Amino acid sequence: MTPVARRPPARPAADPPRPRRFGWINWRGLWTLYWRDAFRYLRYGVESIGGPAVSSLLFLAVFSLALDGRGEMVPGVTLVQFIAPGIVVFSLTHSAFESAAVPIIYDKLEGMIGDVIGAPLTPLEITAGYLLSATGNGLVTGTVILALMAVFVELPLHAPLIVLGFAVAASALFALVGIVVGLWSERWDNYSAADTFLIMPLGLLSGAFFTLEGVPEGARWLFDLNPVFHAVQGFRYGFIGVAEAPVAVSAAVLVGLDLVLAALAWRLFALGYKIKP
Amino acid sequence: MDPSSLFDRPPTPRAIGAVNWRGLWTLYSKEVRRFVSVFTQTLLAPMVTTLLFLAIFTLALGGAGRVVEGVDFVRFLAPGLIMMSLMQNAFANTSSSIVMAKVQGNIVDLLMPPLSATELNLGIAGGGITRGLMVGVATGLAMWAFVPLGLHAPLAVIYFALNGAIMLAFLGVAAGIWADRFDHIAAVTNFVIVPLSFLSGTFYSISRLPPEWQVVAQFNPFFYLIDGLRYGFIGRSDGLLGVGVVVVLAVNVGLWLLTQRMFATGYRLKP
Repeated sequence: MTPVARRPPARPAADPPRPRRFGWINWRGLWTLYWRDAFRYLRYGVESIGGPAVSSLLFLAVFSLALDGRGEMVPGVTLVQFIAPGIVVFSLTHSAFESAAVPIIYDKLEGMIGDVIGAPLTPLEITAGYLLSATGNGLVTGTVILALMAVFVELPLHAPLIVLGFAVAASALFALVGIVVGLWSERWDNYSAADTFLIMPLGLLSGAFFTLEGVPEGARWLFDLNPVFHAVQGFRYGFIGVAEAPVAVSAAVLVGLDLVLAALAWRLFALGYKIKP
Repeated sequence: MDPSSLFDRPPTPRAIGAVNWRGLWTLYSKEVRRFVSVFTQTLLAPMVTTLLFLAIFTLALGGAGRVVEGVDFVRFLAPGLIMMSLMQNAFANTSSSIVMAKVQGNIVDLLMPPLSATELNLGIAGGGITRGLMVGVATGLAMWAFVPLGLHAPLAVIYFALNGAIMLAFLGVAAGIWADRFDHIAAVTNFVIVPLSFLSGTFYSISRLPPEWQVVAQFNPFFYLIDGLRYGFIGRSDGLLGVGVVVVLAVNVGLWLLTQRMFATGYRLKP
């Protein structure tokens, strides 16, 4: 008896698997990248939202306790109404910076950045994914802090759209700074140096907590160079209707810097600066 | 001498006296090198941040010769800021060291060697105390350039700076042993250490507070640290100096006993 070679039963002809097709934009990939970092941020909400919220309220408490002898910073506006928007912008920019830079450095150090670069995402999509998640995270932090402050402070609302526009522009700007710093950093040391020597000084010396009246005449032009100053002025204008710089100029500065930095971040991802061998 | 005679006797274990000095020194120097090797983060950063705080509070609140309780506002503020940065860094050093060792698993390298609970406790806390004091001295010197601080009672400065560093180093040890992950430490820092140090009279005189809150403030050990250090510099205090001296010492002894107990029983350290 000769063994009969057994053939597998004939299958109905099926199409071979085909690679997934993308349109102009890989929406699913973009969403995945966005949600990954948004989720990271929400998951550590105690650190990422609770921390800034507590320190913002402490700033507010400390300023109102220390200043109760002197009521108004600007005529018609109480001290807390003046500094509350400043504190919100300060926390929002810091949070956006942090939630762009930290995931990138973490992924680089752990070797997971390959999962982002290897995915079918164009440099523009990668930039957009990091930018949108960090901007959104900054806005969430800002909204939570604003809501908490509204409990204690009676905030007027002069121009809601200006508030929203400046919040988005400032958050996006520092998300982009965070992307660039994240790509540039090789160790946590580098990140912390950028935080201490760039972001904190820009945020604290931004006119968020004081008026320019106290600043010597000759040093005021320095504030015009600080994007956080413009963010604070515009954001505050939206609430109290007063600003120390023309709102249109502040808006132009922020939008211009946003565009320049977005182009830079996009080029860096395209070149694979410090992320591709 | 014939070299082979060295091998006549079998090696004997190292005899350790009442205190394992070499082990204690090794642990302490490891803790110190840990923060010195990243000094931009651990020494320079707190210094810059504290100077920025000095700048914004002076710009916001110090204008036009403002005085608090008869003292120039900046002179009132500066000692409190020095104490705040000292405290936060002493706490950060011990807590992060222990949590990192636990998360990465190299805590066994501390538990296995012939080190007693006291030696472990003092070695780790010593690193935190050193960092706290170094940050305090660095910020103090930097502020000296901008603020006419004066030095009213050097002994009070030393006493309160040292006790502040000790208190927060032990608190950091306790928090580090209790915590399982980094976000536990972040929670303790954000919700306990920072609020207590902000609301302890650095930025305003306690007499500004409503009477019931003044009573609450008297139970806050950080208040006595800041107040005592301020007395040492400018010769003016909110509370009674003698009470502060006793309170911080009592709190430190209590914390030492607590951390000692934690190491001895292996609470959350040993399986």
